[in-house]
Formats: sequence, C-alpha cells, structure tokens
Amino acid sequence: MRFRNRQNFTNRKELLNEEVAPLTNLCEGQKGIVIKALGGFGLVRRLAEMGLTPGVEVKLLRRCPFRGPLEVEVRGVALALGYGVASKVFVKPLRTESDG
Amino acid sequence: MAKQLRIALAGNANVGKSAIFNQLTGLNQIIGNWPGKTVERAEGTLHFKGYTIRVIDLPGIYSLSTFSMEEIVSRDYIAVERPDIIINVIDSSALERNLYFTLQLLELDAPMIIALNQVDFAAKKGMRIDVEKLSEALGVPVVPTVAISGMGISELLAKAIEVAEAKLSAKPLKVQYGSEIEKRIHVLEEIVKAKLAQFCMLYPARWIAIKLLERDVDVAGRLKNYESGKEVLDYAEKSASELESIHGETSPVIIASERYGLASKIAKAVTTIEVPPKISLEQKLDTLTTHKVFGYPILAIVLASMFALIFSGGGFISSSLEYSFGILKGYIESSLSLFLPQYAVDIIDNGLLSGIVAGITIALPYIVPFYILLALLEDSGYLPRAAFLMDSLMHKIGLHGKAFIPLVLGYGCNVPACIGCRIMETERERFLAAFAVVLIPCAARTVVILGLVGRFIGFHVALALYIFDLIFVFVLGRVAFKVLPGEPVGLIMEMPPYKRPVVKNVLVKTWSRTKDFIYIAFPIIIAGSIILEALRLSGFTNYIISAANPLMSGWLGLPAVTSVPLIFGILRKELTLILLSELIPLESLTAVQMIVFSLVIMLYVPCIATIAACKREFGWKKALTITFIDVALALLIGGIAYRLLSLTMQ
Repeated sequence: MRFRNRQNFTNRKELLNEEVAPLTNLCEGQKGIVIKALGGFGLVRRLAEMGLTPGVEVKLLRRCPFRGPLEVEVRGVALALGYGVASKVFVKPLRTESDG
Repeated sequence: MAKQLRIALAGNANVGKSAIFNQLTGLNQIIGNWPGKTVERAEGTLHFKGYTIRVIDLPGIYSLSTFSMEEIVSRDYIAVERPDIIINVIDSSALERNLYFTLQLLELDAPMIIALNQVDFAAKKGMRIDVEKLSEALGVPVVPTVAISGMGISELLAKAIEVAEAKLSAKPLKVQYGSEIEKRIHVLEEIVKAKLAQFCMLYPARWIAIKLLERDVDVAGRLKNYESGKEVLDYAEKSASELESIHGETSPVIIASERYGLASKIAKAVTTIEVPPKISLEQKLDTLTTHKVFGYPILAIVLASMFALIFSGGGFISSSLEYSFGILKGYIESSLSLFLPQYAVDIIDNGLLSGIVAGITIALPYIVPFYILLALLEDSGYLPRAAFLMDSLMHKIGLHGKAFIPLVLGYGCNVPACIGCRIMETERERFLAAFAVVLIPCAARTVVILGLVGRFIGFHVALALYIFDLIFVFVLGRVAFKVLPGEPVGLIMEMPPYKRPVVKNVLVKTWSRTKDFIYIAFPIIIAGSIILEALRLSGFTNYIISAANPLMSGWLGLPAVTSVPLIFGILRKELTLILLSELIPLESLTAVQMIVFSLVIMLYVPCIATIAACKREFGWKKALTITFIDVALALLIGGIAYRLLSLTMQ
C-alpha cells in the first residue's frame, strides 16, 4: 500500500492527491486509516497522544451540522473533535462495509 | 508508631480514579492546590495493616508530556517526590489508550501496580481481560477492581503494600522502540549519564533521553541550568531531526506511534471478545442525546427543568430558613442588648448574623442542590455531550465546547465557575472563559431578578433579562476573542460512555465546588456585611448617596438611594434586594426602574469573592480588568436600557 511508505507530505495539496481526505469528509459510520495530521507541533502531538497516530483506524460516529464537532471512535474510545481539528486529520477512507 | 506509606493514584481521566480515591480515603480528604499552580490537589489518609497511608490523587491525564500543567505536576510528583508506590488506575473497557499512559509510567522507573478498573463494565461490553497475562506482559502486579462497588480495593491495598515492602519482586517491562529510535535513545542516554549526572539523580537517564528526543520543552528548559546542557541539547536536536527525516513525522508523533503500537499489541493479546457487543440502552441514549436535531431541544429541556426545580424548590426552602433564622436572630438580639450598647448589637445582628444567614440561605437552598444535579449530569456522562453539542456556538466566542461546563457552573456561584475554567487548555482560553463566566447570573443574582422583576412585573420579563444576558455574553465574548491575541484551541475531548452516577462521587464533587463558595465567598459575605452595617451606622452612606446621585438619577434614572444597594452589592449581591427594600418600598419603583436595576445588578462584576477567585486564577491585573470592564458595561447598558425602555414602556 502506498501510504505505508510514509513519505514527507507537507501540505494539504500533496495529501489530497494521495487518495486521502480530511476526516470531515467521512460519512457517519464510515471508517478510515489515519495518514497524517497537519497542524502545529502541539496539536499534532496532542492528537497522537489521544491515539490518532498514523496508521490507526478511525470510525466517524456522528457529526453536528454547520461545521460542528465530530465524534470518532479510535482505539476503542470515543473522542469529540472540533471541526477545525478534524479537518486537519487526513485519512484514507475505507469502503463502507458491514462491520469488519 | 505506625509505619508510613505514600501512594499516588495516576491514570487517565474518566477511569474511576476518583472513585478509587474516595473508596480508599472516604471523607478524609484535603483538597487544595499544588503549590504555586492552579491545579487541584487531592490528598487523603487511611490506616491499613498497621500502616498510615497517605494517598495523593494525581490529576487525570493522558500523557506525561508537557501539554498541560496537570501533566507537569504529575510527572514531577512521581519523579521528584517519589511516592512509595504508584497505583495506575486503568479502564478495562479502553485498555489500549490506558496502556499508552501505563507505558510512560513504566519509563519513569517508579514502583507501581495496576488497578484494572471497571472490569464489570468491560464484561458488559463483551470483553474479558486476562489479568495474569496482562500482569506478565507489563511485569507489574495487576488487581481487577470495580471502584464504585468497592470490589478489589482491599486486595489492591494489600498488593500495594507488598510491592512497597519489596516482598514482590517485580520486573517491569522495558518499553522498547524501533531499532532506529532505540539506537538514538541509547547514545543519548550515555551522553546524558556522562554530562548530566546531577539531573540523572532526579529522573532516569533513559527517560531524559527519550524526552529530549521527543523535544520536550520542560526537560529542554531545565537543561539550560547545566553546564553541558547546551551540548546535550544540540545532540538531541540532531538525533530528533534525523528521526523526523526518516519517518516524515515530528518526533513526538513517531514515539507516540511506537508506544501506541506496543499498547495495542498488549491490549489485543490479553483481551478476548466473548460476545459481540449489542446495542445497549446507554448507546441508544447516547445516539439520542447527541442527535444533530433532537440533541438541542433535549439539552434545553434538561437545563430548563434543572433551573425550574432549583429556583422553585430553593425559594421555598430559602424562605422557611429565613423565617427560622429570623426568630433565632430575634432571641440573640434581645439577649445581647441586655449588656451591649445598641451600635454593637446592630453590628453583630445586622452585620455578622445577617451575613451568616445570607450565606446559608443562598448556599443550602440554591448552590448545593444545583451542584448536586450538575454533578449527576457530569458523572452520568451527559455534560460532555452537552459540551459536544455546544462546541460550534462556543467557537464563535473563541472557546470550544468544554467551556460550556464552567458557564453552567456559573449559574450556581461564579466562584467555583471561575475555578472550573481550569478545564480549558491554555491561559488565554481560561481567561476568555472566566470573562464570560462572571457575566452569568449566579444564584444570588437570580434571587434578586426573580424577587424584583419576576415578582412585580412578571416571569416573562425576568426570562427576557436572562435571554438578553446570554446574548450579551455572546457578543462580549466575541469581542474579547477578537481583541485578545492568540490562536483559538480546537476541541479534543474524550466522550465517556453513559454510566450510572455514584452517590459518593457526586457528593464529593458537590462538596469540592461548594467549599469554594464556603471558603472564599462566605467569609467575604460576612465581612462585607459587618462593614456595611458599620458604614450605615456612621452615616457614611448618605455621602455616597449624594455623590452618586448624578449617575443614579441622571444616567440610570433610578432613585438616588439605589446607589447604596448597587455599590454594596459588590460585597453581597443577594443583599441588594433586601437593602433596597429597607431604603424604599419596592412597589414604588416603576417597571423601567426595576428592569434597569436588575440589569445593572446582573451585569456588573458579581462580587468581591469572584474578584478574589479571578485574582487567584489569573493575577490582579486580569482580575481588575474584568472588574472594570464589567462595571463600565453594566452602567452603559443600564443607561441605554433606561432611555430605550422609557420610550417604549410609558
């Protein structure tokens, strides 16, 4: 798989070319693999500490309308992420399938 | 003499750490602050098997980096104060995330055991955890517990003592990273050992090396105190950059990923999914209460019924309390006047006793029940969901969803609400939140608004004032957010599953908030009361009335005497109504005057106790800034309201 090569993605544009999308693009119930979080040193570290590290599977549980926060499940824990935060987390969306 | 032992409880938030702490220490707790920090410190003592054990409840954190003050406090306590043993409380239903923290504790080389908590909850989710296997994998004893029922607590203590006495030879797991990282850690560790021998007395050398690789600001900052610190730092910097170019991630992310990798491996190896989890009642409740459409009306109904319950029930309790205290005061007054001069009786009676009564009649009927209900909402897991729903709105004033919690606390008393702003991540966020919090009408102000506007004009007008207040908070918060430099922080918050709240924890939480009122606000209320009475007796108030007259009648259109309750309201807000009614009959005020009066009371700085709380949290400069802005705005809005309302209501 291509994303496993962990290339040096540095900006949004490059990332979007790699079949990846911000977490905010997932549908409710859809899963994705975290590729990278873009953002300040502190934010990226904090996301990693809460379990959102590259390669981990996330599932979008629900979202609020009007650029509201999102709730995701990662490593067996439900996390609420503000829209701004979530839009900085890039994932490779997985096909929607029956729980697997 | 009993043998002494110090235990520290460490773990993530929402894992039942406080429940274990409460089980261990009962009500033998001292809750204060860490020295020099605005981080709460809870300590308790207990006696067990001939030991006197001091238990410290460290703040609930997810990592031992330097993201927050709580994390620094925790790791310094563990490394520097060296408790005899650490009990790492972990939530069995979220093993992977909890083990991430456990691995970091292991790196600190502290003697520890694990309380595998909420095993009942994990079982309900269909998960079974092999305790033996987990203990083997981590190299430390593991005791399964259910803190809320007390299951496993005495085994936990017994095990803690065994380890502390070193009867159990534990071989803690050594956390190993990938070879490219491990190589660099090893070299750096040797350098640290050689160059920073003194620093290694405080922390394990390997830990220092890892932290340096992680670009830990706190550790790096401390190296500056050492002669060869710069040299070590430069080398660490070089190693970290090398790692970053290999992985294309920042070094903290690389190391966090590795730790999570290990945590995940251990978690998977010890967990068996027995039955596939089915949709539980809690999950249905979760879906409903965070629903993008239904979530909001539910939130409104929950809050509205809470307020209705408190203020209708509270009014009844409050008036019956006042009645009984009134009789008591009468007795004291008549017996005192037998041997004391009249002015001394007045000071004691109208000053001291009224102050005590006022404090009690606010705290018991309003603040305590309010905080009990709020703690119930919080512990059940509803409050984080409310914060989730409110996130978008809070972003408009530069905050995020979590700020909703101190704002709601503010409706009880602003003092614990100001302290509650600590849940915000940065100093800027805390200040912005506090700025909004002090504008929230607390129970005392609600008593005034309901007692004046609500009683004489109508409940709908009182409600309108509340809605106006919310809009005002919103607009002002937005201005403050634009004016204050700095970047807003986004929401990253764990959503704990719904749980049945535990009575003991709810009571402890209620007490810890109410005590802020009792220790900070109560003495000030009493002192304020005495000063007020002394001023009244000395005739000083007349000067104030004439001095403030232009502002009062000219600008606000209020009777001149209202300056007394308005000025002294800063000592005790709930007193303003009583003071006013002593000076003039309340019925003589026009509707406009009542609204203007209530508006000013509602908006200008809550009370001296709140200013004191702000000072404690943010320092004098910011506390006085808040005070000044609020007073100026209250007068401005009051004057405008007077003019606008006079036009429309006459």
